[in-house]
Amino acid sequence: MKFLNATALSVLLATSALTTDLHAQELTMAVSAQSAGQLDPHVSTRTEDKIVFGMVFNGLVRFAPGSMSGEDIEPDLAESWETSEDGLVWTFHLRQGVQFHGGYGEMTAADVVYSLTRAADPDRSGVSSDYTQFASVEALDDFTVQITLAEGIPSLLGVVANYHGGNIVSARAAEEMGENFHTNPIGTGPFAFDELAEGQFVRLVANPDYFRGAPEIDAITIRYISSASARDLAFQTGELDMIAGTREDRWVTNMTETGEAVVDVFEPGELRTLHINAAMPPFDDIRVRQAVAHAVNREELVAFMGASVARANEAPVPDGYLGHNADVSFLAYDPERARELLAEAGYPDGITVPVAITERASLFAPMQVLQAQLAAAGINVELEVMEHSAWHAAIRDDVSSMVLYGAARFPVADTYLTQFYHSDSIVNTPSAVTNFSHCDVADNQIVQARSEPDQDVQMALWAEAQQLIVDEVCSIPLFELLQVFARSPDVDLGYELQGSLSLGPVITEQSTLAD
Amino acid sequence: MAGFILRRLLSTIPTLLGVLTIVFVMIRVAPGDPALAILGDNASQEALDAFRERMGLNDPMWVQYLDFLRDIARGSLGESMISGTPVLTSIMEVLPYTLELALGAVFFGVVIGTPLGIMAALKRNGWLDYLLRVVSLVGLSFPAFLTAILLILWLAIDWRLFPVISTPTGGFGDRLFNLFLPALSLGLIMVAYVMRTARSAMLDVLGEDYIRTARAKGAPARRLVLHHALRNALIPIVTVIGLYFGLMIGNAVLTEIIFNRPGLGKLIVLALNQRDYSTLQGLMVFSAFLVVMVNLLTDIAYGLVDPRVKLK
Repeated sequence: MKFLNATALSVLLATSALTTDLHAQELTMAVSAQSAGQLDPHVSTRTEDKIVFGMVFNGLVRFAPGSMSGEDIEPDLAESWETSEDGLVWTFHLRQGVQFHGGYGEMTAADVVYSLTRAADPDRSGVSSDYTQFASVEALDDFTVQITLAEGIPSLLGVVANYHGGNIVSARAAEEMGENFHTNPIGTGPFAFDELAEGQFVRLVANPDYFRGAPEIDAITIRYISSASARDLAFQTGELDMIAGTREDRWVTNMTETGEAVVDVFEPGELRTLHINAAMPPFDDIRVRQAVAHAVNREELVAFMGASVARANEAPVPDGYLGHNADVSFLAYDPERARELLAEAGYPDGITVPVAITERASLFAPMQVLQAQLAAAGINVELEVMEHSAWHAAIRDDVSSMVLYGAARFPVADTYLTQFYHSDSIVNTPSAVTNFSHCDVADNQIVQARSEPDQDVQMALWAEAQQLIVDEVCSIPLFELLQVFARSPDVDLGYELQGSLSLGPVITEQSTLAD
Repeated sequence: MAGFILRRLLSTIPTLLGVLTIVFVMIRVAPGDPALAILGDNASQEALDAFRERMGLNDPMWVQYLDFLRDIARGSLGESMISGTPVLTSIMEVLPYTLELALGAVFFGVVIGTPLGIMAALKRNGWLDYLLRVVSLVGLSFPAFLTAILLILWLAIDWRLFPVISTPTGGFGDRLFNLFLPALSLGLIMVAYVMRTARSAMLDVLGEDYIRTARAKGAPARRLVLHHALRNALIPIVTVIGLYFGLMIGNAVLTEIIFNRPGLGKLIVLALNQRDYSTLQGLMVFSAFLVVMVNLLTDIAYGLVDPRVKLK
C-alpha cells in the first residue's frame, strides 16, 4: 500500500512538473445566448447558466463527469450515505475540510441544510417543486445531514446531485449578499466566479483549494455569442477554444472536415414533441388527433435535421431517462389512414388549424416540415410566427391548437410525465407547468410511480403511463436533438463525454489545454 | 438667455412625460414577461408567481406606472430586473463603447468619403464619377450586417489581420485595433453619405464666381481645389456629419451584435429579449432625454450663431 502511494505520488509530481512550466492557461468558450441569467443555481434553469453552475458548485452527490446516467452517481460533498428501509430517511456524511470560494470558510452541515431549505422555498428558488416532499432537513452534527421525506420520491439522489437545487451554496455568503448573491455566487467547485460583464462574458478562475485537487486550467471565460456564424468564425481564427454548435448534420460535417476541431455530440437529447390541444376543437375528437399522428413522418424529420444529431423517438419520455418506454406501440406513418379518420370525424375536406410557433429555427424549421407533412393528409396548419418570449407566453395562455416544444429535463420519467402530462400541470391554471395538451389519462400511474418503493413496479407504472398518453394521442413525440459542441484538439476534457446535465462540456480539475 | 433655457427645459417636461407613458404601456402590452426569462421554461408556476409578486409585476398597472414616475422624478432610472444593477450604471458602462464606435465610423466616413467626393466632382460625368456614384449607391443600399460579415471574412478570417470578436478593453492601441473592423463596417455607410454630399457641395462651389476669378488669375489647380473650394464645401459636409451621427448610433445595434461588442444597441436588444422592463424603460427615457437635450442645444446654438433668431 505504501509503495502504491509512493508511485502515485511520483507520477503526480512528474505530471505537475510537466504542467507547471506552462504559463497561465486561459480557456475561452462561447455559448449560444445573449447574456448570463441570474447566476444562482436555485434560481435560474436557463440552458446557458447550467454550465457555469456545473463548474462553480457541488452537490451532496454528483453525476460522474461526462455521464448523466443515474447509475453513475458518485460521492461529491457527501462521502457516504445510508437510507432507512422505507426510503424516507436519508443520512449523508459530509467530506471535511472543503472550503468555499472567496474565504467563506469550511462547508458544513449548516450550509447543506441552508441550501436545501432555500431550494425548497418558492420565494427564493425556481425549482421548489422538486422539494415538496421534503419534510425536514437537519444537521445531526457539523458533518452529518439527515433528510426526512413525507412521501417517497422517484430519485432522492437526483435532487441532491449537482443539478439545479441540489447545488450547495455558502449559507454565510447567501445571507450576507441576499438578493445580490447571483452577481457573486459562492460555491465549492473547481472554478470560482470572478467577473461578470453583462451581455459579454463570465470569467471563472481556478480554485486552488478544490478538494479534488487544483485545476490544471487557470481561468475560463464563457462568452455569450448568440450568432452561430460569429461563434464559428471566432473558433476558426482560434479566438475561442470551445463553442456551442449548431444541431445540424451540415455543421457537424463542416466542423469535422476542417481537421482543426473535435466535435462532441452528447446526451441529453432534447425531445421535440407535438402537443395537441384536446380542449380546442376539432382536436377534442380523438379521431382527428389520430389523423395527425398518422400524418407525421418521423424518418423524414430525422433526415431533415440530420442523422448525426437527431434520432426518432415514439415514447413521451426521452430515451436515456430512467423509465423511458422503448416498446411503446404507436400509430405509424400512414397519410391515407389519416384522411379516412378525418372523413370519419366529419371532415372529408380536411381541417385548417392555427398554430403559434417561435421564430427560432430550432423549432420553426421542423414545424415547417411538419406543416408540409400534415398538409399532405388534409390538415392545413396556419402558422403564426412569433418572437420567442411572446410565443412562450402565448402557448402558456392556451391559445394554440398545437404546440411544438423541445425540452431536456432531469433524466427520470417522473419529471417529464409530471410537467407535460399530469392534469395539475395544465396550462392557464394556478398549478400550471407545461401540459399544453390538457392530458389527464395517466394521472394515477404518474402519482403512484412517484412514491413506489419497488423499482420494477415503478418502471411498469411509468411504461403504462406512456402507453396511455400515446393511445390518447395527447402528443406526438417526434425526435430527439442531441447536444453539440466543438472544441480545439488542444482541449482535453479529462473524461469521456457521453452526457452532461449541464448541457455542455464542463471543465473539471483534470481538464487540460495544450499550447 | 437663462430665462429662455429655463422655459425650454420646462416645456420639455410634457414631451418627456408623453414618451415615458408610451414606452411604459407598449412594453407591458407586448406578450411575455421577465419571470420566464429569468427562471427558465420549466420553473414552477409557484416560483413564477413568487417572482412576479417580488418584482411588483402583479400590482395594477397604474400602481406600477406611479412607482415608475416617482423613480424618474427622483432622478433614478431604477434597477435591472435581471441583474439588479442600476440602469443608469449599465448605460454609462456601455455608452463610451457606442460613442467610440460611432466616432470611428464618422472618422472613416470623412477620411474616405471626402477625397472620393472631391475627385468625383472634379471629373464630373467622367468614368470615375459614374463609378463612384454607383459604388456609393451600392454602399447606401448595402445592409450593415452584410458588409460586416464580408469584412470579417476577408480581414479576420482570410488575412487574419483583426479579431472576429471586438473586445474594447486594454490599452489605447488594443482598443483601436479592436475598433477597426466594426468602425470600418459602420463607416462604409457614412462614406457613401459624405461622398455624395462632398461631390455636390464641391460642384456648387466650383461654379461660383470667385473660383472662376481665381482660375482666371492663374491659381494652380491644386491650390484652387484645396484652398479656395474645399473650405467652403466643408460646411455642408460638417452638417451631414452632425445629422448622421445620431443615425450611426442607431445603426450601431447591428454592428455591435455581429462583432459581439458591448454597447447601447446590444443593451437594448438584450433587455427587449429578456423583457427587462426597467432597463428598457430606462434606456428609452435616456434616449428621449438625449434627443430633447440635443434639440435644445441646437436651438441655443442657432441663437448664438444667427443674430436674427431671438431667444425669447
